[in-house]
Order: sequence, then structure tokens, then C-alpha cells
Amino acid sequence: MMEVSSPLVPALLMLVGVGTGVWMLRQSWGARDARGRGWMFGGWLLIAASFVRPIWVLGAARGTFIALALFSVAALAVVAANYTIRQAKARAARESLAPEPSDRATTKGRETLRWLLAGPIGMIAAMGVGIAYAALAPGAQQTRLVIGGLIVPVAWGACMAWTLADNRILRATAVLVGVAVVSFSAAILKGFA
Amino acid sequence: MTAATKPKKPKDLMSRIPAGFVRAVLRGHSSLGLAFAALIYLVCLSGSIAVFAHEFQRWESAAAPQVTTVTPDAVQTAFEGAIARGGPGVEHVYITLPTNDFPRLLLYVDAEEDRQFLADATGRIVPGGDGAWTEFITRLHINLHLPRTWGGFLVGLIGVALLSSLISGILAHPRIFRDAFHLRLGGSKRLQEADLHNRLGVWALPFHIIISLTGAFLGLTTIIVGVLGMAMFNGDVNKVYALFIPAPPVDDPRPAPVLDLRPMYAKLPAGTGKLEYIFTEHPTEMGGAALFNVKHPNRLAGTDSYAFRRDATIYNAKKAAANNLGEDILASAGAVHFGWFGGGLIKIVYFALGLGLTYLAASGVHIWLARRRDKGRPAPAWERAWAATVWGQPAGLAAAALAALVAGSIVPTIATWLAVSLAFLLAAIRLPAETLSRIGRLATGALALIAAATHLALRGGIGTADSMAWIVNLSLIAGGAFLLLPRLGTRKAKVDPASPVTA
Repeated sequence: MMEVSSPLVPALLMLVGVGTGVWMLRQSWGARDARGRGWMFGGWLLIAASFVRPIWVLGAARGTFIALALFSVAALAVVAANYTIRQAKARAARESLAPEPSDRATTKGRETLRWLLAGPIGMIAAMGVGIAYAALAPGAQQTRLVIGGLIVPVAWGACMAWTLADNRILRATAVLVGVAVVSFSAAILKGFA
Repeated sequence: MTAATKPKKPKDLMSRIPAGFVRAVLRGHSSLGLAFAALIYLVCLSGSIAVFAHEFQRWESAAAPQVTTVTPDAVQTAFEGAIARGGPGVEHVYITLPTNDFPRLLLYVDAEEDRQFLADATGRIVPGGDGAWTEFITRLHINLHLPRTWGGFLVGLIGVALLSSLISGILAHPRIFRDAFHLRLGGSKRLQEADLHNRLGVWALPFHIIISLTGAFLGLTTIIVGVLGMAMFNGDVNKVYALFIPAPPVDDPRPAPVLDLRPMYAKLPAGTGKLEYIFTEHPTEMGGAALFNVKHPNRLAGTDSYAFRRDATIYNAKKAAANNLGEDILASAGAVHFGWFGGGLIKIVYFALGLGLTYLAASGVHIWLARRRDKGRPAPAWERAWAATVWGQPAGLAAAALAALVAGSIVPTIATWLAVSLAFLLAAIRLPAETLSRIGRLATGALALIAAATHLALRGGIGTADSMAWIVNLSLIAGGAFLLLPRLGTRKAKVDPASPVTA
């Protein structure tokens, strides 16, 4: 009986490859001249090459997910190894160039509507999109259903991000209600076959 | 003057995002993060630990015999033994066969009262089958110990909120890729937290997307299937499920002897796969059936399934090699979500990245609290509540592990976790954030050490045959010591009143 291939050796090789690739990207990031482009090109090339062996040895899907997990670890290790110490400043508040969240004027009614859009209305619209995909897209029934199912959280998450940010709350309402009505109608009219 | 000016470097894509849009998205990112922070934190923390569910189950059953291979006769003996002890109303029996990852023969009996049994290599039922801590931590992650449908939906919603935070987090930080290598520690607490938050957020983004998407998908499956069934199958959700799982056998509730699995074994095709699970339905009725799952190596969704009637005739055979894309995605979503596809190394990686995601949830609130303090609008009550959450949960989980070892059942385990969590939240009414954080660290460390000691005293002792018990105990001791020892050395360190966020 064939045993499951141990990911240890391919994983260690990949960690070295990706780590070196990310280190090269860091060299590119720190370079002030044309050499930066070479480091960047070489870094991405090495990272891409490092993905090949796990995929080849450990199976296409299994190897890809192993490689993606290891990529994050290797990259974070390179970033952590190159930390710098920042001295505390007397006026620390001025140190930040980061943007501040908008301070929009709002009312209780608008905030309630905003959370309804991010929550149940966004969910219904996202489900409409997912179900419309399952009904209308080509392909095997199971594939359409599963991809439609995966669309739901992505679309709902995007709805949340959008409606909680958009100042024009009525526009968001109209779009989400419209999407829900159109997508469910299209799916029901077409049916599932 | 303009002629002498150096030509401007073209802006990258992210830098072209208008400032007003960035500020609006940042507002949404903050609102969403704050609304779901505690739940995201709890689900991520419990998920990071649940990666090691099999290892914890071995730890809890360290006194039970290790089983590497079993014969069909031994499985049949264990099957009959579990049904005999399972009490009335046996609906299903799920048999987990030994693997390298989990060297046990485990039988879960779904009856009026659900029970779990372990058997030795001959099939004799042996004591030591309770896995209260494993059940506690996995159920906490999957449905927060709420009723399955609602708990699953809530966890799915938390996955959506996390996914949404990832989207808004990228859009709200135009410099996130340009600053991808900046990690500046020291100085302002807020800026340090922001650097850690953003570096973790960007480099672990593939992992975060995979985890939140699969988590949301798995959690929302029931409601998606329900809506799909209503919209397109006249409310019959079974028609949706029938596309993915073999139809159940014709119901025939007349009493019958226990299903004989041995002739079914004999009909499994010879091949490269390994039999890992047997699911039996109505095993003491004439309509009984069994589903054998055979796993192929190096494939995420590589499970063949063979469904047998009582008379050992196959009524459904499904080869993984013939799966379409949708079936492959569905079959692999759970393994990808929990990191159960690449051995111990990938579990450790998932644990580390999961803790990073947990930290991401915690640091988001820290940044918000620090920003308020920087602006002269501190929120001390929220600082205390957040410190109680961030350190109350690890302490609660460590206490739950201890309770599970002592009591050996799920109810006291849940009660202990709830009691410790509530105690921290109540303490937040009076105690400052620094004190809560310190108490939480010390309590977590001490409880981890006590859990290891309790395990040695009650679950096999130093003579346990399963090396995994030693690995888990050593990890608990190392983790406990890590949390305790630095505190002993720094407890008198001066606390900077300008940066009270210490968790």
C-alpha cells in the first residue's frame, strides 16, 4: 500500500527557497537604484520556483496548500529577522502618517440601516448572487453549487466592507435590494438543471 | 524651478486610492473589527488549538492501548461491543480505524445518549475513551457550544466578518504593500502594534483568506443549502444533499442482528488506499447499511466511498478519481481549514499562523484603544474589558483542559470555561487592564502546568506508551513556563502610564 509522502523534505527545501526569495525582495525594497529591479525579479522567480517541488512531490492541491502555508511562515521569518528598534519620541502622536478613520456625521436610523445592509440584507443579496451562479453558470451541478456556495461569503464580506464604508447609504440600499431581486428572480426563472 | 525639479516617480496602484475613500473604509474596518473582535478572537484562538485535535485525543486517551493495525474480525468484535454498551436507540456507529496520526480504534455510538469507546487490537472495548477536552475545544470552534445550526451559522458569520475585515484592511492601508518589510519595534506602543498588525496581515494574507473563506463556507453550509432548497427545489433540501452523498438505504426498522462488516471488508477493491472510517446506519435494523471510506495518499480529496446494504451488496460506489471540481472542493474544505493534510509540520505552521491571526484580532482593538488615548479620549472601561477578554480566554481554556482531565465529561468542562471567562469579565469592573493581563498570563501559565501534572497523575503517568502524551505534556510545561517565568522577572518593571495597553 502506498504511503502518504512526508512533506518534511520538500517543505524544508521550500522554506529555504521562499526565505531566500523574500530576502531578495527585501533587498529590492531597500535598494535605491536600478539593482532593485533585478532583486525583485529574481526574488519572485525563486519564490515561484520554490512552489513547484511541493506541488510536484505532494500532489497538486495538497502541495499548493502546503506551499501557501509555508510561504507565509518563511516571509514572516525574514521580516521578523530584519526588525528595527524605534526610539520613543516626545511627540509620538505626530510620528504617524497613517490616515485616521473618517468622522462622518450620522444618525441612529442611518447606522441601523447601515448594519442591516451589512448583515441580513447583504446576506440575502450575496445568497442571491451565489444561487444565481449555481443556476446560470455552465458546468457540473456539484461544481456550480459549491462555487456558488463559496461566492456567498465572499460577496457578503464585500457587501459588509462596502456598506460600512460608504457614506451614501441609500445608494447601497438600492444596489443591494436590486441585486437580491434580480439574482433570485433570474435563478428561479431559470431553475436548476 | 519646475524644470529643475526631478520627475515624479509614478504612484503605485494602492497609492492612487483617494484619501477620502481610505478614511471611509478605515471607519468601516474599525466598526466591523470592534463589533466582532471578541468573537473573532475566540474562534481564532480555539481554532488554533483545535488544529491538534487528534493529538489531544491521544493525550486524553494515553492510558488506552496503541493500535496500529486491526483485522476485520477485531473491528466486528469492537463494533458489537460498542453497540452492546451504547444503550437503547442506536441510530449510527462511526468507526475510526487506526492511522499513523491516530493509533486508536475509536467507536462513536449515536444513541439516546451518545457515547464513545476505544478498543484494543483484538476488538475488546477498553476504558479511557473519554475525550472531553478534545470535544470541548472542537465544538467551541465549530459552534461555540450553541445548538448546532445556530452556532454553526454564527461561526460562519464570524468567518464572513473576518473575510470582510481582510478586504477593508487592505483597502484602508494604501501603504500596506509599500511598507511590507517595515517592522519597527519600540517607541510608540500604537505604532509598534500597527506595524505588527499590518505585517502579519499582509504576509499571512493567503492563509487568512483560506481560513476565513473555508470557515465561513463550512459554517454557512446549512443556511445556504436551506435557501437553495427553498429557491430551487420547492423547499426539499434533501435534493441538494443527494447530489453529494449516497442516498440512504430503504428504511426497514424491523430488529435484526448487528450488521456483519466482515463480508463488506472482503468486497473492498484491492488498491493503494487505506480504510480510515466506517459509518454505519441503523446497525440493528433490517434496513442497516455501512459506508466504507478509503483514503488515497497525496490527494486532499482522495477518499473513495463504498456503501453496502445489510447483505453486503454494494449499492453506491464513488471513486475520488472521478470527482468533479465541486466534489473535490467540498471534500477538501474541512482538511484545508484545520490543517489536516500535511502531517505534524503543517499542523505546527497552522497553529503558529492561527495564533498570528488571533493576535491580529487582539491588536486591532489595541490600536483603536491606543488611538483614543493618543487623542485624549481614553476608554479605560473598554481597555479593562478587552484585557479581560484577551487573557480571560486562554485562562478559561486552560482551566477547561484541567476540568476535562479531572471530570472526564463535557458539561463540567464547559461550565469551568464559562465560570473563568465570567470571572475575568466581572473582575474588569474593578481591576485595571495591566493587572488583568498579568493575572491572566499567570493563571494561564499555572493552569497549563497543573494540567500537565494532572495528566501525569490521572492519565497514564510517566509509563504511558503513546509518545504524543509526552509531547503534549512537554508543550504544556514549556508554554506554562514561558508565561510564568518572564513575569517573575519583570513584575516590578515600571509601567508606562501613557501606554496602558499591555495585553
